Amino acid sequence: MLCQFCNKRDATIHFTNVIGKNVEKIHICTICAEEKGFDHLKKSNIEKGDLLAGLMNLAAETSKGTSVSKRCPGCGRTYAAFRKSGKLGCSQCYDVFRVRLDQVLSSIHGDTKHKGKIPARQGAIVDLSRRITELQEELKKVIELEEYEQAAVIRDEIKMLRDKNESEGRPDV
Amino acid sequence: MSDLSVLLKSPAEWLSSEGEESEIVLSFRVRLARNLDNRPFSHIAEPEVLASISSEIKEAVLDTKKMGEALIFDMDKISESDRILLSERCLISDEMVRNYSNRSLAVMKGEKLSVMINEEDHLRIQSFESGLSVGKTFERICELDDELDEHLAFAFSNRLGYLTACTTNVGTGLRVSAMVHLPGLVHNNDIRRVIDGLRHVRLTVRGSYGEGSEVLGNFFQISNSITLGLSEADTVANIESHIRKVIEFEKKARDSLLREARTLLEDKIWRSYGILKSARLVTSKEAMSLISAIRLGIGLGIINDIRLSDLNEILIMIQPMHLQRLYDKSMNPEERDSIRADHFRALLNRN
Repeated sequence: MLCQFCNKRDATIHFTNVIGKNVEKIHICTICAEEKGFDHLKKSNIEKGDLLAGLMNLAAETSKGTSVSKRCPGCGRTYAAFRKSGKLGCSQCYDVFRVRLDQVLSSIHGDTKHKGKIPARQGAIVDLSRRITELQEELKKVIELEEYEQAAVIRDEIKMLRDKNESEGRPDV
Repeated sequence: MSDLSVLLKSPAEWLSSEGEESEIVLSFRVRLARNLDNRPFSHIAEPEVLASISSEIKEAVLDTKKMGEALIFDMDKISESDRILLSERCLISDEMVRNYSNRSLAVMKGEKLSVMINEEDHLRIQSFESGLSVGKTFERICELDDELDEHLAFAFSNRLGYLTACTTNVGTGLRVSAMVHLPGLVHNNDIRRVIDGLRHVRLTVRGSYGEGSEVLGNFFQISNSITLGLSEADTVANIESHIRKVIEFEKKARDSLLREARTLLEDKIWRSYGILKSARLVTSKEAMSLISAIRLGIGLGIINDIRLSDLNEILIMIQPMHLQRLYDKSMNPEERDSIRADHFRALLNRN
């Protein structure tokens, strides 16, 4: 069987990729695998599964061709570089290439929203932000009910939480 | 830096075969991928940035209760053969053997808990156990992660979770995998259906100890492929329930083999035993198939004079670099085959 990338050499690495109900078979020669930076696939590797999934989904994702030259201000990498290597340059890339990455993430994981653990220090920010949102909703209600004294108390509490957040050097919530 | 010989003196504790279902499940591994916030990922970071990331992580690791006693190995200060040795012990990746500059390993004696530093992600935390020891393996890694979180600011987004160099790990950064021995299912040809079934529930299955698609010794590695949209606890519970199902299928396959072809099966097992007891040359490929037969023999109670833990240990010890280190010289493949055969005979005749 010929390599589906170069169509010249025999494919020596074979994978089956399952995305939802679609089953896709990938046949690639060692030279193309190497060119694409996936030569590690030739050898047993403890993280091979990760690389595999990376290759699969990059292959499955067809070229959509727009703004591949946009650069991440954090690390200077482009989306094209990600497509080539399967790796992002820094955490900021996830925001910069969000729209395109959401498609990739959705095809890999079937989801684009984290439902797991939150680091303790992040947890404090998340909790604070949740509390402020709750208070803002409460504030709206009491204003509608014309309970202005109560509204003032809530307003001060929101301000206090925001100040506390700022004095601890955390980002805005 | 620590002395590698401290580590090599004794086999990894996760080869002990003490865990649940250990005649089918060789080992259970949980891995977490973490990165430091506001730094480029390892693959594009400049050497000085990698060096500062590495020292920050090493300091944090040594400040934890869980890994305060860790041995630290800097990959650029040890030889290539030492790096291969560590990869044969599953402590570092093949990638880290080749790409070693400013990469390090922190590992606890016994090798149940370790951290690869500046691999694809800044931290790759690994927890190993023998058998299907899900709770123990997972709790240990969570405790270390909580402790590290007090010292390090991890790259995290409220929407996407832990941010990783590769999109396949983003979210929980959690990879759970079990190394399972499935000779019964391979023999009765049900293995294909089982693998397809596991892939259907989005688990990854691949042959272990083999090159490419070849499966050696009937060992398979089953791992989760989804890290986003599923909590850590659900990921672990999900894979555990599927592995238990596979174990059940394997046991049924073994039972029916015993019922329908007992003599044939016993013959294959005892022949393998005989070869290992007397052969003078054993290639690593042949070794895997013989180990598989004997492992099955132990599991079925046919062979009683070999311990599963010794067989597990031998899987690590017969790899090329371990053999060469044991005899303290480099060898050509034929010499290795001869030493490998000696090693087996010594094991079988010891008992």
